[in-house]
Amino acid sequence: MIEHGYMGEYVRVNLTTREVSIVSIEEEEIRPYIGCSGYAVKMLWDETEPGTDPLGPEAIVIFATGPVAGTLCPSGGSYELCFKSPLTGAWCQSRSGGGFGARLKYAGYDFLLVEGKSEKRVYISVHDKTVEIRDASHLWGHDVGRVTSEILAEISDPDASVATIGPAGEHLVRYAAVMNDRGRAAGRGGGGAVLGSKNLKAVVVNGSRDIKVAQPKEFAEVVVTAEENLSRYPFEGVNQFGTPLLVGIQNAAGALPTKNFSEGQFDAFETIGGEAVTDHHLLKRRACFGCAMGCGRHTVVEEGRWATAPGDGPEYETLAMFGSLCLNDDLPSIIRANFMCNEYGLDTVSTGSAIAFAMDCCEHGLLSAAQCGGSLVEWGDSERIVALVEDIALRRGLGDLLANGVAAAAREIGGNAADFAVHVKGMEVPGHEPRGEAKIMGLQYAVNPRGACHMHPNWGAIWDSGQFECGMRAFGIPWPPTDKYEETGASKGLAYRFVAIQGEISEIVGACVFHSWGADDACITPDLYSRILRTLTGMDMDQHELFQAADRSWVMKRCFNAREGFRREHDTLPKKLRQALPSGPAKGQSVGNIEGMIDEYYEACGWDMTTGIPLAETLEALGLHDVREMLWPE
Amino acid sequence: MVRGLLVRPEKCTGCHRCDLWCSLTKDGVCNPARSRIHVIRREPDLDTPVTCTQCGVCLSACPYDAIKCNVKTGAVFVEDKACKKCGICVMACPTGMLTYAPGSKIPSKCDLCAGDPECVKHCRDGALTYEAPARLAASRREDYARALSTAARAGSPANLLLSALSGEAGSDD
Repeated sequence: MIEHGYMGEYVRVNLTTREVSIVSIEEEEIRPYIGCSGYAVKMLWDETEPGTDPLGPEAIVIFATGPVAGTLCPSGGSYELCFKSPLTGAWCQSRSGGGFGARLKYAGYDFLLVEGKSEKRVYISVHDKTVEIRDASHLWGHDVGRVTSEILAEISDPDASVATIGPAGEHLVRYAAVMNDRGRAAGRGGGGAVLGSKNLKAVVVNGSRDIKVAQPKEFAEVVVTAEENLSRYPFEGVNQFGTPLLVGIQNAAGALPTKNFSEGQFDAFETIGGEAVTDHHLLKRRACFGCAMGCGRHTVVEEGRWATAPGDGPEYETLAMFGSLCLNDDLPSIIRANFMCNEYGLDTVSTGSAIAFAMDCCEHGLLSAAQCGGSLVEWGDSERIVALVEDIALRRGLGDLLANGVAAAAREIGGNAADFAVHVKGMEVPGHEPRGEAKIMGLQYAVNPRGACHMHPNWGAIWDSGQFECGMRAFGIPWPPTDKYEETGASKGLAYRFVAIQGEISEIVGACVFHSWGADDACITPDLYSRILRTLTGMDMDQHELFQAADRSWVMKRCFNAREGFRREHDTLPKKLRQALPSGPAKGQSVGNIEGMIDEYYEACGWDMTTGIPLAETLEALGLHDVREMLWPE
Repeated sequence: MVRGLLVRPEKCTGCHRCDLWCSLTKDGVCNPARSRIHVIRREPDLDTPVTCTQCGVCLSACPYDAIKCNVKTGAVFVEDKACKKCGICVMACPTGMLTYAPGSKIPSKCDLCAGDPECVKHCRDGALTYEAPARLAASRREDYARALSTAARAGSPANLLLSALSGEAGSDD
């Protein structure tokens, strides 16, 4: 069993049989993937059959941590929820900060794997190596804050971390979140619905186990280097304003998604931006566990129509989706919508996108007043936005239609509704507008295993427009970046290959990706991560081994999808992003040649140009022999 | 020179880096449960490190003279060899910061890292500072005055001193 950095064991809970087993983790098994979502995809590949119903009892969901979670390496207490998505049918990982990842490790385990379906409604308690399946019948139907408080009282540990679903997960909303520590979300892809389908309301973790450090003195030295680097972090406003500072930056670039991706600038951007949040609603900054930056917001609306109790957020994405995307300039209503998403357990990105989609459909005559419960959903109607959050969570009226995601809703509405459904592989496009921000984001959305994703494994625009090399010149990233509006002929395929793998390093060591953005001396580079891992785990690891492990993890996620039937034709962009922006600094820009960008990317990766499946030699070079045999049988 | 830890809860983000540094420096592991400084997060908006104030109540309480004061740093410390594991000091500690590390029967507490506390060095938000005695006294005077005032407004002058010291008067409810 691996002893340093890792806890060396994971828990399996079978909810059908109520069997709990503890599995030892050996270095030779986990080292090729490092951990977190990298090892979780290997587990999911090994243990599920293609075609598994994501909401069926045979589906598996994994709460995954990596070696750095819970340590002094700035990780943000990360854990990743890994599962087959009920929204997309594809691989999904959803990262969350807060304290859950750290406290799962203090409880004694690196992963919690849940399979089967409980006959009764339950929650799982993992406390100092004691695993219990406990009755949750009294918690069902209740929101996140109340469930969290009740569980903490039941186990008599106010420091423990609760990850729970709200009513949205119980109602199998396809983008229901799993909320931990009340206001942190494993938001995207519908992990909350997976838990709901298993009658699993929550998981609570804590303990007093040591995370052992192989070389404490040397580890402390590299951690100090990481702290110093992060003190030079290029996005200096992130402490003061959190991610909401992006509202102004995106708007200036003409890349703030507006009116359901019809425009790239919002007239009222200042009223929903970082300064407005800070000046009028910020109670305090709140950091995730072990974070050296602390971008988290803790906000309140003290009075008025949208008076709202203190809670976490809103993040930039939420401000964009419930704000500019819906033409809503009423900041308190956004904070209320955010609070309700947290309490009901909804992904704010997909929820906001679904509401903007409904507005677009109403404007274009695709939804009738009757279908909308009596009156059309109008742009900027904050009352309606907040009401729809609840309707979606509880699957009432129009909310029931929207709760399946915009792709499914468009199919049901028919006509040309699909033109207004802004998604990739069924996952709603988040608040980064590739036409104005950087074309590499278009490629990222198209090829990402979980669909339109701005985070896992990276935010590609950092390279294309941010001018930070992030320690990647050692691997040959084309540098400096070309014009952000270029599509083909500018090595974007090659650049994104490296960008994705650099980001994937965060996903396998189990850290927040924010720490890996910046100049070489202003972030945690692959080289610094390898030094952190070496001193923490004792594994003699260099940045090239780490980079290859990240590549392996990234390719495995691709292969998981390939086994599910995903092919090149699924790597595409919604119509809205292929049309030109009508105004603003990025006026006239579209992602016009996504096929050309994909060609360049597949070529850089060694993936089959026709199918998009990683080539046999690519898989063999990564040591993925079993995967090669499955996908390329001889 | 003798100095002490000063906590400014309003600056704390609850990042836990202080308690992680404590356990790494003192025990060579990452484990807040072993730390001699505890970060408490409670809703709706409380984050604060809780530290030993080196007040010496434990020193007075120990029936075996196993707790001493380092006159160079002002740190009150447990002499492991002299400790009879009776637990009286743990019960006496007013802040709950003299307690047992997991698996240990001898209590452990903050020793101010011999006058160079790691928690302070790594607090990037200024929630923890290392201050001279007069500065600490001024700060405590301020806290005491506010607690007294809150108690008086709550209409409990009879128990003013007691409630101020126990912190109950600081609660709004």
